[in-house]
Amino acid sequence: MLKTELQFNQEWTNHFLKQIDEDGPWANWELFKLAIEAENHRAIPSFTGLQAPSHLPHLTPHPYQLEAARRVVEDMNGKAILADEVGLGKTIEAGLIIKEYMIRGLVKKVLILVPASLVSQWAIELNTKFYIPAVVQRKSYVWDQCDVVVSSIDTAKREPHRSIVYEQQYDMVIIDEAHRLKNSRTKNYEFVQHLPKKFCLLLTATPVQNRLDEVFNLVSLLKPGHLGSFENFEKDYKGKEKNPEDEERLRTLIQKVMVRNRREDTGMDWPERIVKTIPITFSPEEEDLYRSVEALKKEPISTRSQFSIITLLREICSSREAAYMTLKKMLEKEALDEVTRAFIHSLIKKIEGVSTNSKAQKALELIQSIEGKVIIFTEYRATQLYLQWFLKEHGITSVPFRGGFKRGKKDWMRELFKNHAKVLIATEAGGEGINLQFCQHVINYDLPWNPMRIEQRIGRIHRLGQEGDVHIYNFATKHTVEEHILTLLYEKIQLFESVIGQLDEILTRLGMRDIEKHISDILLHSESEGEIRIKMDNMKELINYQKEDSDASRKYS
Amino acid sequence: MHQENIHNYLRSYFLANDCRILQEKPGLLNVQLTIELDKELMNRPFYWHYLEKTGGTPRPMTLTLITNQNIEENGEFVHFGAPRLHQIFSSTKKLASSIRLYEDVQTSYQQQYPLHPWLGLNIKISYQCDRKKHRLLSLGLHLVSGAVVDDFHNLLLKKALTPKIPDYAFTVTPIIKPESGLKRLEGVVEMLLAKEDVQWAEEARLRWASDQHLLDQFYQGNTNDQRYEVEKEALRKQYEPTITAEIINGGIFHLVPGIESQPYPT
Repeated sequence: MLKTELQFNQEWTNHFLKQIDEDGPWANWELFKLAIEAENHRAIPSFTGLQAPSHLPHLTPHPYQLEAARRVVEDMNGKAILADEVGLGKTIEAGLIIKEYMIRGLVKKVLILVPASLVSQWAIELNTKFYIPAVVQRKSYVWDQCDVVVSSIDTAKREPHRSIVYEQQYDMVIIDEAHRLKNSRTKNYEFVQHLPKKFCLLLTATPVQNRLDEVFNLVSLLKPGHLGSFENFEKDYKGKEKNPEDEERLRTLIQKVMVRNRREDTGMDWPERIVKTIPITFSPEEEDLYRSVEALKKEPISTRSQFSIITLLREICSSREAAYMTLKKMLEKEALDEVTRAFIHSLIKKIEGVSTNSKAQKALELIQSIEGKVIIFTEYRATQLYLQWFLKEHGITSVPFRGGFKRGKKDWMRELFKNHAKVLIATEAGGEGINLQFCQHVINYDLPWNPMRIEQRIGRIHRLGQEGDVHIYNFATKHTVEEHILTLLYEKIQLFESVIGQLDEILTRLGMRDIEKHISDILLHSESEGEIRIKMDNMKELINYQKEDSDASRKYS
Repeated sequence: MHQENIHNYLRSYFLANDCRILQEKPGLLNVQLTIELDKELMNRPFYWHYLEKTGGTPRPMTLTLITNQNIEENGEFVHFGAPRLHQIFSSTKKLASSIRLYEDVQTSYQQQYPLHPWLGLNIKISYQCDRKKHRLLSLGLHLVSGAVVDDFHNLLLKKALTPKIPDYAFTVTPIIKPESGLKRLEGVVEMLLAKEDVQWAEEARLRWASDQHLLDQFYQGNTNDQRYEVEKEALRKQYEPTITAEIINGGIFHLVPGIESQPYPT
């Protein structure tokens, strides 16, 4: 057995001996007693249990959050992936864990890396909810002089910051939206990999967005070797028949480093999700435009391949502006044969002939009938701009929101929406990391094909702090790609009502992580509507089958 | 720590530091800081620097501390997690680091009485790996006989103590010098710890070894990799069990003889 060495701090001793020599000055007895009293209160009697809650009288964490914090400290030794579903309060769990380690004197310096848009929000939450003096990294000296620093990963990884960050002895590293680190070949990954991680939390709501090696990369960042070496992992889990034993083993391993709470497991009453499909009928001009592009599928490959047909079809369903932008970009390409060029021009002509936007019209009616605030999600910048203009024409104030906004601007836009505007129009990238629980209505103006992204959207409002039921309106234009997606896929598998974590598992198990590509293939390579329907039905059946399976096994676990 | 305890603590702290209490009711304390405490707590060095340069009238601040959330008055809410309370805890410790006291005995016949010298230490032991806990020790060393007493602080709390030697008391010269007394108590602490259960440290080493093993597998002998070194060192910092002893405070106590005859079994 190794002996654990005792270290006595000599500072006090030297000071004391000097005072004896100089005969004082001596402390007063009252203060002396108080110092002991203070230490009695501050001393931590046990290795286990959480001290943090008694330090945070204003915070009432949910039982599952306290349990998550306890598990990370006691069972995972302070290295964990916090992967609760969107809106369950991963930040609270992270705050509890940081606080616990700080109270116990195990952590002093903390580095918190988050998307730029979340930097100030993190700092505010840690300061106000946890009394953790977190400072936003705005000036270089902050790295040296502040113990708890919040920064965007893009800032931290760049010189001169990078070298300064590496010089710091961080006791704890926290990374929010960590699924962005799924690719081990990126600069961000490499940067984080070189950071010493005594304690480390990776936060993500979508831990397994696409492939198994992404899980591998995430876990290896946290605890290298936990899933073996890369070569062994490849050998054991990839490219061969799915073996239930292997899968079970992998699942068990991952659970050792991951906390994942789902809404239904939290034992709490969550507001309902009320989902409505809003069918849209094209105007004749819109219809004509759509069919012309659709007809391209029948053109010879040389012409056909110049177009990203599916993209164009989806854009036409959104707004003529979105489709126009794509066509314009195509015209700018030099290597374009005359036939194609002529075709593009004819399409642009048709676009110019479209005088109304049936979808926008429907959105307007809906917004007018809703008393509260509304968020519109669209995939396209051009649609976003158009909608803003269109709503303004009808006297409705709206606020745009994009991922590219600087941190300050995002906070500002959120406040504007909260206090002054009726509608927030967000593009996909804007969805991550803003909390809009004061809003109860979401319009999915166009649907993303990756179901995980839908959950990210809804999670913005269906989260802790939401008091009313959440209304989700899905727009789908009749007899178009949108309808296929919505009615054949989303509705049948009850995606909106059900819980995404489950779907995530199912798709992984089916090896269909890249569901967008599957759908795209079906739509593009089917000869007829009937064929599309059959193939989509097949896919749906497969998913539903797995889902029942997982529901059943959940009941027994 | 209950809110009333906090209130009482704050009150004692300010009184012990010669501050005037301007207003007090349950859950609220309004104090006039002295110049010293203003410098200690209010973090405004520029003001004090400026004042000293210009020779103006010093105006130390007042503090209103609220320990009952339901009180609707302006002031700082102080609870167990409040930075202010921890600042005051640390300040207390700093201001009360060492002491010398004499036991005061009421003698009816103006009889002279001897006081024996003791070295008293309050010690915080930290047991640290990836987890941490503390143990507080209060040891007294009889500087005449070398006897050691445990729970010394609580013993002192039962006595009347004064900073000046009482009129009829006289002190007995120590045989053990404070410096070697400190060494002896250090030895006592080590001995006490040697008797403790070390399972926690063994378990931490197992966790460490297990993670180290995984790391070695991951790098597959490629130990020149800089990342390997970074991770290895991080594991050491995470798991390595250490025990540290920190002296909270201590002092020389001149006490009526008697307690050294019931020493701590060492």
